[in-house]
Amino acid sequence: MDDFILFFVRYLHVLCGVMWIGILWYFNFVQIPCMPKIPAEQKPAISKVIAPEALFWFRWGAAGTVLFGLILAALNPAYTLHEAMTFQIPYIGFGMWMGIIMAINVWFVIWPAQKIALGLVEADDSAKPAAGRRAMLFSRTNTLLSIPMLFAMVSVQNPPGL
Amino acid sequence: MSKILESLPMTIVAGIILTIIMVIATNKIDNMNQSGVEKTFSDLQKKMN
Repeated sequence: MDDFILFFVRYLHVLCGVMWIGILWYFNFVQIPCMPKIPAEQKPAISKVIAPEALFWFRWGAAGTVLFGLILAALNPAYTLHEAMTFQIPYIGFGMWMGIIMAINVWFVIWPAQKIALGLVEADDSAKPAAGRRAMLFSRTNTLLSIPMLFAMVSVQNPPGL
Repeated sequence: MSKILESLPMTIVAGIILTIIMVIATNKIDNMNQSGVEKTFSDLQKKMN
């Protein structure tokens, strides 16, 4: 039963992670590069409909990934949460810290900035471009971190033998 | 830094470089941890002798 619980928490962790990183990569590989090519009258379809919905699943995917990841690390019999977070198991340590930094970026920088940029909260029109740029740069930071983070997470289960 | 992040290809390259740095750091940490275990084992053997 313990093995099943461990498996199921890992499954939920991966499920939420796919939701989160999938939408992160959608933003960075599809939406941001395509925005300049979309005619002005069609842009609201992205900014008013698609982006707010994507951001909902994006931020809760991030929260779920970290929550189930911490539960997984706490339940895992191979190491303690303290050992993992102090790099005694280096790959899981790097992966966890990068994932936590990325989730902090999502909840405390990208989401607040996107609320301003997309007009979901009251803000001066002059604040919108700066907020949009801040959200884009932190989203790119997360894209950068996602490359080593995923390498680290996969390496825990399947050592690359480097 | 923002120049790198403004370009998607440069962001990917930076991510790959960071991955390589992480692999090197991981190997170093693993070697240090290994050395610690070996030292403990050797100390234990000395005590037994």
